[in-house]
Amino acid sequence: MKPIVRLRGGSFTYPGARSPALDGLDLELRRGEVTVVTGPIGAGTTTLLLVVAGFAPRLTGGTLAGERESLAVRPGIVFATPWTQLTGLCHTVHAEVAFGPASHGRPREQVLAVADRVMRQAQVDHLADRDPNTLSGGELQRVIVAAALALEPDLLVLDDPAAELDPAAADVLYALLREVAEAGAAVLVATPDVERAARVATRALRLEQGRVVKDGTPSEALE
Amino acid sequence: MTLRDLVLVRLGVAVNLVIGQIVAALLLPVFLDAVGTILLAALVGPRAAIVTGLTSQVLAAVLSGNFAWLPFGIIQVIIAVYAWVAARAGAFRSLYTAIPAGFLLGAIAGGTAAPIAYFVFGGATAGGVTAVTTVLRGIGLPLSMAVGVSSIGTDLLDKSLAFAMVALILRTLPSHLAARFPALAR
Amino acid sequence: MIGYVAGDSPLHRAHPYTPLAWAGALLLVAFAVSTPAAIGAVVLAAVATAVVGRVVPSVMRPALLLALPTWGLLLVLHGVLGPDPRIALGPLSLSQPGLTRALVLGGRITAILFAFLTVLATISPPRLVEAMTARGAPFGRIYLLVSTLTLVPRMRSRAALILEAQQCRGLQLGGSPLARLRALGPLVLPLVLGALAEVDEQVLALDARGVTSGARRTPLAPPPDRAGERAVRWVLGLLVVAAYAAKFAGHGL
Repeated sequence: MKPIVRLRGGSFTYPGARSPALDGLDLELRRGEVTVVTGPIGAGTTTLLLVVAGFAPRLTGGTLAGERESLAVRPGIVFATPWTQLTGLCHTVHAEVAFGPASHGRPREQVLAVADRVMRQAQVDHLADRDPNTLSGGELQRVIVAAALALEPDLLVLDDPAAELDPAAADVLYALLREVAEAGAAVLVATPDVERAARVATRALRLEQGRVVKDGTPSEALE
Repeated sequence: MTLRDLVLVRLGVAVNLVIGQIVAALLLPVFLDAVGTILLAALVGPRAAIVTGLTSQVLAAVLSGNFAWLPFGIIQVIIAVYAWVAARAGAFRSLYTAIPAGFLLGAIAGGTAAPIAYFVFGGATAGGVTAVTTVLRGIGLPLSMAVGVSSIGTDLLDKSLAFAMVALILRTLPSHLAARFPALAR
Repeated sequence: MIGYVAGDSPLHRAHPYTPLAWAGALLLVAFAVSTPAAIGAVVLAAVATAVVGRVVPSVMRPALLLALPTWGLLLVLHGVLGPDPRIALGPLSLSQPGLTRALVLGGRITAILFAFLTVLATISPPRLVEAMTARGAPFGRIYLLVSTLTLVPRMRSRAALILEAQQCRGLQLGGSPLARLRALGPLVLPLVLGALAEVDEQVLALDARGVTSGARRTPLAPPPDRAGERAVRWVLGLLVVAAYAAKFAGHGL
């Protein structure tokens, strides 16, 4: 099966930076797979997510060298801090989750159906009429994940998504990632929580100084 | 305006609306309600700064209920354009150039307020308008968008301080953030 | 005190653009007329709006609180200090033209306050967003007007946190003017720089949600815009034009 994203010799340098954040990186991501990437701070894990999903350099500026091929039409992204990912326009969780498909001009019935489905998937349907600004960090993060899923992404990248979640909610989230992959998307998640990610991931990468230093199965990564 | 500009304008408006509480806690006789506008002028450009200023005027009215002050929005435009010109001229490179530049803006802004106040309050003389506006502030009219509608003295201090604040912000900006603003490249 | 008050009045049920048009028209007409009688009519219309919206209790207090200082000032500035001829009002000797002037100017501000505070109280932000979306208003405009208001409380709490943190580090809030001035930096800088650092993430999050897709956003619960309401808005526009035409033709209203 053709990889949905392929990087060959990928190097990325942020504007004004002296050294590249990613250095000659080779990577292939496939649909149906959950890949976890770890690494120390500054290793380039967040940058990798942005480059893979096509948000860098488009929205961040900077230069990308090497080859990047992507078949993804609907990349989704989830960051660690929920508050900055709110649109600020929506007064209910339901509206927040529906925002993505609505912004794409999908028909109303479709938008509502998708929103209901992903809210149930992310277990936030009981929060549907709540104001997002009144939710706890953990609840809000699950809403953000639902909002990302509402777009039915074929490539989903997540940056430490369970940082604000308690252990039970984190388990639910990672199980959800496995579901998303099994539905046909490629999932790439950056997290220091390798143990939890390893339970659902099919592949584990370790980054150091912008380079892949380990690429294997999650059990290998846990050694 | 790009999406990034939009998010920055929103930040600028929020800064305009929020700095007032810091200033009040410090019991300083200023409002500093144009710092966001001036910052946007230096970071992005005149159009973004104008949108910041006008949006701030509208939202300040929405938050405080005082819609009668909407006509003073024109002063926001003046502040935005002036700040952009000052930024291009390098005024924010040092406090020694920023403060006098702000001082001049204070004079301009304060001076422009008079004809607007005349229109809204029908002040018969310049002296009368000044009396009106000084007393309004003295009564403690609870609004932060009384830009320029103040004694000229307060405006001079307010804008000098605002320019100094923006110069400090720009100087303290980490290089990786600064690199994302092409308007800063001198 | 100031802000949306839930209710079921005709104003609440109207398409949000209609009360907005009404308040805008009132504002423009208020500046077109210049006799106390005409202004009195405008003020009555504005107060009537609050009555129709069934929000008089919520609107009355802030409107009066905001208007009274101005009234006091105008009466002094024009009533007391105005030109002759003078009339006696009890123990006071007031300028007649000045009093007229004060009534008109005060009335203007009162009308504007009542009208717009009523609009604020009867238009719920989500409904306005839906109305604007249905009308194809650009995302940027909606975003700036509505989303900023959700950012303000968060920034306010952050400012309060920074205040506390710096005080723990020894920052003094009182003292000489110079000391207080120097305290500005450690309070404002972290607030602004922190907000700037979040910009990238916000841009990415919004973009990922399709804000830049160029498609026309689907409204999920658009408020109905009946032909009658649209007609009303047109009539209001014509009224404003008529008022200004009369003003410039010299028919002192």
